Amino acid sequence: MAKPVSPSIVQAFYQAYASRNAERIAPLVADHVKWTIVGPSQIFPFCGEHRGKAAVMKLFTDIFPKTIQFRQMEPEVMVIDGDRAATFIKVTGYLHNSARVITYHCGQFIRFEDDKVVCFRSIIDSFDAAEQALGHHIDPMHEPARHLPIDPNGTIVAI
Amino acid sequence: MAITREFVLEFLRARKMSDPAQLAPYLDDDVDWRISGPVDVLPQCGQRSGKAEVIDAICRVSPELFGTREFEIDHLLIHGDYAATLGRFHATHAATGRQISFRSAHFMRFRNDKLVWYRGLIDSFSATEQVMGHELDIAHAPDLVSIAPDADLVEI
Repeated sequence: MAKPVSPSIVQAFYQAYASRNAERIAPLVADHVKWTIVGPSQIFPFCGEHRGKAAVMKLFTDIFPKTIQFRQMEPEVMVIDGDRAATFIKVTGYLHNSARVITYHCGQFIRFEDDKVVCFRSIIDSFDAAEQALGHHIDPMHEPARHLPIDPNGTIVAI
Repeated sequence: MAITREFVLEFLRARKMSDPAQLAPYLDDDVDWRISGPVDVLPQCGQRSGKAEVIDAICRVSPELFGTREFEIDHLLIHGDYAATLGRFHATHAATGRQISFRSAHFMRFRNDKLVWYRGLIDSFSATEQVMGHELDIAHAPDLVSIAPDADLVEI
């Protein structure tokens, strides 16, 4: 049976996570960690799957700092059960490329092994977050223009 | 009184069945319910207050959009009155028959074996694309149209 994680370890992880300081986060992350943030990566480059400690550290040293500065993280519910923790959290952040402040809820599910994070999964209300990041409504009815395939000679190919 | 894993799974099964008689015993009269997402595309999303509104969302609104529904649960955590799940929602789009699947999470609080608070989080961007059947055009900013005649607008 997996060793239960103590509330103090979960608390320590969240304090380090909120700091966005890679040096504080690194000791709490396992080498073989799998870190997944669900959402549109064309809008939020930190979304996607990040495997291994080096990839996760890059999130905190490179990808997050270039994308978003987290201003506030307010956990509204935290459930700790065995080796896992789940948090319903309200996040407020400043987007560097658009100078916009966005606020969204996210659910984070974390599994610990020997007091280190081995699996981190986050899900956000991605449609709302995307609209806030873009600064305009997304019209679900509007299809993107199809890119016409172009042949090497520069002639447009009929589709 | 703490809830059990079996109890939460029974509630999720009742939700999947979309039968008011099976669902009602799990809901508090004043249940506070919210699922994130754009309600114009995903009408089961949004805020519902009270048992009747939640039953309507689950048993009438959701089946109109999704013909079959299945909650795949990867993680189920219980602590005291609280439960949290992470998994995937699989459905058939009723209008087109398309198979739809997106990540979802549930955060729940029970009191006296009744659900009193619920927050559903879904990957609403992906869900919207799948329901619409095409990619979302994030470069297109729609014009906002006033629904009132100009004469009715008050300058502020």
